[in-house]
Amino acid sequence: MNDMSPALWLSRGTALAQFRAASDSREVRIGAVIVGAVALIAVLAPWIAPNDPQNQDLLSTLLPPAWSSGGDARYPLGTDSLGRCVLSRTLFGARIALTVALCAAVGAAVAGSVLALIAGYAGGRVDWLVSRAVDAWMAFPPVVLSLLLMVGLGTGVFNVVLSIVLVDWTRFCRVVRAEVLVVRRRDYVAAARLLGFTHFQIVLREVLPAVVPLIITLVSLEMGIAVIVEATLSFVGLSVPASAVAWGMMIADARSTMHEAVWGMAAPVLAIFITVMGFNVLGDGLRQSTDPRLRNVRA
Amino acid sequence: MLREVAGVVLRRLAGAIPVMLVVSIVVFVVLRLLPADPIGMMLPPNATAEDAAALRAAFGLDQSIARQFVIWLAHAARGDLGVSIHFHVPVTRLIAAALPATIELSAAALLLALAIGLPGGLALYAVRSRQARLAASLFVVTLLSVPSFLWALLLLLLFGVTFPVLPFTGRVSGGVALPGWTGFALVDTLAAGQLGAFADALAHLLLPALALALAFAPLIMRVLRSSLLEAATEDYVMTARLRGVSEARILLRHMLKNAALPTLTLIGVQFGFLFGGTLLVELIYSFPGLGNLMVQAVRDHDLPLLQGVAVVFCIAVLLANTLVDALYVVINPRLRSVR
Amino acid sequence: MSAPEPILHLDRMTLTARIGGAAVEVLRDICLAVPGGRIVGLVGESGAGKSMIGKVIAGLQPPGFDVTGGQVLFRGRPLPGSRGDLLGRDIAFIPQDPLSALNPVLTIGQQFDEHLARLGTARAARRSAMLSALGRVGLVDPQALCRRYPHQLSGGQCQRVLIALAFASRPGLVVADEPTSALDVVSQALIMRVLAGEQRSYGTAVLLITHDLRLAAHVCDEVAVMYAGEVVEQGPADAVLRRPLHPYTRGLRDAMPPLHGPRRALPAIGEFMPGLQALAQISGCRYAARCPVRSPECVRSRLALRERAPRQFVRCGVACSETVQAGVSDAGGGAHGGPTGRPDWDGGRTSGPDRNGGPKSGADGNGGRTSGADGNGVFTSGPHQAVPLLEFRDVDLCYESPRGLLGRRRGAVQAVRAASFRVDPGESVGIVGESGSGKSSIARLALGLELPTAGRVLVDGADLHLGAGRTSAGAPSGLRIVFQDPQSALNPRRRVARLVTQIMEAPDHRRPLPDRLARALELLQQTGLPADCMSRYPSQLSGGQRQRVNIARALCVTPRLLVADEIVSGLDVSVQSQILNLLDRLRRSLGLALLFISHDLSVVRYLCERVLVMHRGRIVESASTEDVFLRPREPYTRMLIGALPPEDPDQQWPPAADAIAADAVAAAAAPAG
Repeated sequence: MNDMSPALWLSRGTALAQFRAASDSREVRIGAVIVGAVALIAVLAPWIAPNDPQNQDLLSTLLPPAWSSGGDARYPLGTDSLGRCVLSRTLFGARIALTVALCAAVGAAVAGSVLALIAGYAGGRVDWLVSRAVDAWMAFPPVVLSLLLMVGLGTGVFNVVLSIVLVDWTRFCRVVRAEVLVVRRRDYVAAARLLGFTHFQIVLREVLPAVVPLIITLVSLEMGIAVIVEATLSFVGLSVPASAVAWGMMIADARSTMHEAVWGMAAPVLAIFITVMGFNVLGDGLRQSTDPRLRNVRA
Repeated sequence: MLREVAGVVLRRLAGAIPVMLVVSIVVFVVLRLLPADPIGMMLPPNATAEDAAALRAAFGLDQSIARQFVIWLAHAARGDLGVSIHFHVPVTRLIAAALPATIELSAAALLLALAIGLPGGLALYAVRSRQARLAASLFVVTLLSVPSFLWALLLLLLFGVTFPVLPFTGRVSGGVALPGWTGFALVDTLAAGQLGAFADALAHLLLPALALALAFAPLIMRVLRSSLLEAATEDYVMTARLRGVSEARILLRHMLKNAALPTLTLIGVQFGFLFGGTLLVELIYSFPGLGNLMVQAVRDHDLPLLQGVAVVFCIAVLLANTLVDALYVVINPRLRSVR
Repeated sequence: MSAPEPILHLDRMTLTARIGGAAVEVLRDICLAVPGGRIVGLVGESGAGKSMIGKVIAGLQPPGFDVTGGQVLFRGRPLPGSRGDLLGRDIAFIPQDPLSALNPVLTIGQQFDEHLARLGTARAARRSAMLSALGRVGLVDPQALCRRYPHQLSGGQCQRVLIALAFASRPGLVVADEPTSALDVVSQALIMRVLAGEQRSYGTAVLLITHDLRLAAHVCDEVAVMYAGEVVEQGPADAVLRRPLHPYTRGLRDAMPPLHGPRRALPAIGEFMPGLQALAQISGCRYAARCPVRSPECVRSRLALRERAPRQFVRCGVACSETVQAGVSDAGGGAHGGPTGRPDWDGGRTSGPDRNGGPKSGADGNGGRTSGADGNGVFTSGPHQAVPLLEFRDVDLCYESPRGLLGRRRGAVQAVRAASFRVDPGESVGIVGESGSGKSSIARLALGLELPTAGRVLVDGADLHLGAGRTSAGAPSGLRIVFQDPQSALNPRRRVARLVTQIMEAPDHRRPLPDRLARALELLQQTGLPADCMSRYPSQLSGGQRQRVNIARALCVTPRLLVADEIVSGLDVSVQSQILNLLDRLRRSLGLALLFISHDLSVVRYLCERVLVMHRGRIVESASTEDVFLRPREPYTRMLIGALPPEDPDQQWPPAADAIAADAVAAAAAPAG
């Protein structure tokens, strides 16, 4: 009985327990390490990149990596068709990728989850309206809609984030809404209502904490998707202006010279793959550690 | 049962109409936000303001957005989607030429994805030991992390450049002419008895379809595995086991049919994903399909073409969803009414 | 008359598993023999290990659980490692939950056909074999049934199909694992009748696993009682029920509320059965911790089954003497909240006619009562009040199905029809009915969770729903509800202390932290929970403890009326008796009114002064408890009461099928109210 402290009231106890449970999972740890590494690279890119990514050295175009014959030690992974350092461009590409990933995922999460909470909790007409909107939205192949939005909005990082948010909010909305509906039917929500709490208080105190683990999992997976979408857009030339560096752009440039200089394409391909895999492994691990655990905990 | 299926189809199609309307409006509005001016790009350098105005009027771009939309809608109802600014050819004609190619590609991709994904999912489920299970999980996650356009590039490098076994440009090789009956190369060549052309078309289809399939298959694998895992804990499995039914039979006859339901749902939901993949894959392989057309339209800011292609894509997704829903009713007896 | 050769013989079988690093004997020294052609009952509460025995017989125990001692003999020979051949042929199983035991995407016919094919029936003969088997178990129109899917059948029908499947191969042994737990009372009686019938005609041996001692005593020839993985008592069915020798069996029998005769207190068995991990630490008798008559010897040494009465075996160091028996019932009060074992309330034990003279319908209330005990010994409230605490006047509730496309509604369910009754302050009223009868809807209407489609719901004489159909936030003052499923009713992310005082977070009842903590402690004491539960999460509590937390929460701001919606369903008998005693005690000390909803007639009889019987949304009978049980007027009520296994093993049960049928027909044909 030494627990008679107001610490009893902290429901943050479950958040801490969940965090601990999550970090026990091997997948979560691996994913976190990968994502962390990429993030670190992105942040430190200006300091660790050997050259300026935009600097064109027209005398040294299409050089192979430093370890093969004909390579130059100044350009560890060689150069592209305009003489720009492949390694530096790859490292700088991480900045755009992660910025877009983070902002787009969080934005889509907020937009989708708020609507899901409202629709799932209120039910009736509001739910019907939101569901129809989601259905209509999902009639678009996602890439198509993103492209259209970029055409309409113009290039730039902010517009890329916006177009991803405007497309992917539906994914959050649909999944979170399903969970909200389940929680809504639980008796403890009815019990809270009977105790006199307002709807808003109930959503905030009873419903939201129940769906937060799901949202976090989805955010992680969404970041992987956002990286892919950004790469797709920059491949087509509709992402960031040419003054910035993006992996998809690098791939598009390198495609024409694929036969001679493989590394110009291989580096960004690997970068995309590793980053997306990190997010996927993390998301998968989170999904497994939060979902079934919570349901299976029994005395 | 037929009545239920017909009911579902009709209900879906009826519901699709307002969705299409909304979709067209959204596309229309979004495109009109364009900062760049397509007219400006089409004019010769010494054009005057009157020329610009005249051209604008010719394309109907001088009227309000709402009016433009109504006009477009009226034309579309009659099957006229306008004229491409870049190609100077009716949009419908361009689409009609490109659509069958994309449908063929998507169908082939879906078949390949099922061929890889279904046995793959079963195999993943059958894995028993802990290490093998972890390895299987990581394997699937790795596959999932490669988007279709990366597969396309990888396959291109591998089988097109390094080991040049398969063609990777276009739909058919240079000298081959396709009988243009249905527009589906495989069907036409087979019907016409041109087996050489058939083989050629098939070879060209293989790499792009494989690229799309490799991106889709892991999704199928994952959902099949998790729904089999879930079915394994159901009571009827234990009861069947207690009746002495063999494990193999339980898996194939009892569990698989139940697990097919969530798998089908996933395929329906991810159809858009499959179609979206065709954009870059067709671009990379210079495959003359709808995706390629769309990318071109995007680059050229070709509004009428863009409008038309986007709408057609959405129709395709809605039709595919309807098909999936109908199949779902066929497989799931709970959705049928009591007799 | 000696028993025939045992077809199944568990000879000192021990099942061990590694739990939490220690080797735990999950099943210990099981000696069980099922003679050919006889029915043997295996009775125990949840966690006793009875289902595990079924799994061991099938060879399907979970990985890590191994038979480390003794053997399992079938027809005199040890069971082979792979039993696939025997299963479904010579040993058949009947599962617990019939609706989920059949594959939902295959028709009944397809599944039966597959089974017959496995049995080797020729293709041509399968159809007729299937139809005749289904006809034998009493299914009407087997042809049409074969084309249906499981979800289109009722629970009772599915269970009949499963029985037909089990007996199709003329097995030597049928293991029925709680075959009627998922069914309602009437279906239970019917299904047991079918099972007994098939058993008799084929001469099959049956191992019936159940938690209901009374049911086992009626249906089985022999009964074995299990506790924490051991068989503690075994003997002829009526002997075990009438003269139980083991303290646990006695406690189990006494903890079931009686259906007839004088009302007596329920001696509660305190605490709960040790879990698997705790078993490793217990060296002596596993029941010792809860046993009122234990001796130091019991705690130290392991005991064997010994024959203490003709053919009755007990595993107990202390059992059998008269004084000990008395000691058991005296001390049966237990540690948590039970009254002392005197079999009488202060109102006196009368089994005579009702003091109030004749049944009255609910709307008028019972006049002229004085506080004390009524004819049943149930604590009654004071004189009839002018203004009832809760009143329903002609209330209808209709659930409409959600709108389909084009806004058309596809059908409505009339959950409640013309319900009228009243609950006075301090009164305890029970609502009895099967699932779907509308009882839970009454609870929701009373609390304002649903709006009546017609009629009025009055609390303290005032209409609950203000004009425009909107209620103010919160329940009507003084009314609290305890929901059925504590899993769903308690937010799993909150600790117990915060849960029980949840109402103190609402604006009207806000209190500072020290007050909340004090009140939480009080509530835990009141409901008999240990103080260290304060900081636990619901998932760390047992089922009974969770239900107490549920009740405690409702008591935080002392209510005047407590609505209890099926709160003891799904609880073990020993835990159930604890909760019932708790409610009774609370009623006396706090003067609470109680609206108690349950499908279990015996529980309602124990707690309530008046009973409303509901059937398909209507209140078909409403009278004092004694009247309803001794002199039921409506055929439906008679059917319900008749379908319960009586306490006296000599009485005929299951009742003759035609008796049930007659009542059922009359009930279905009865007009409103």
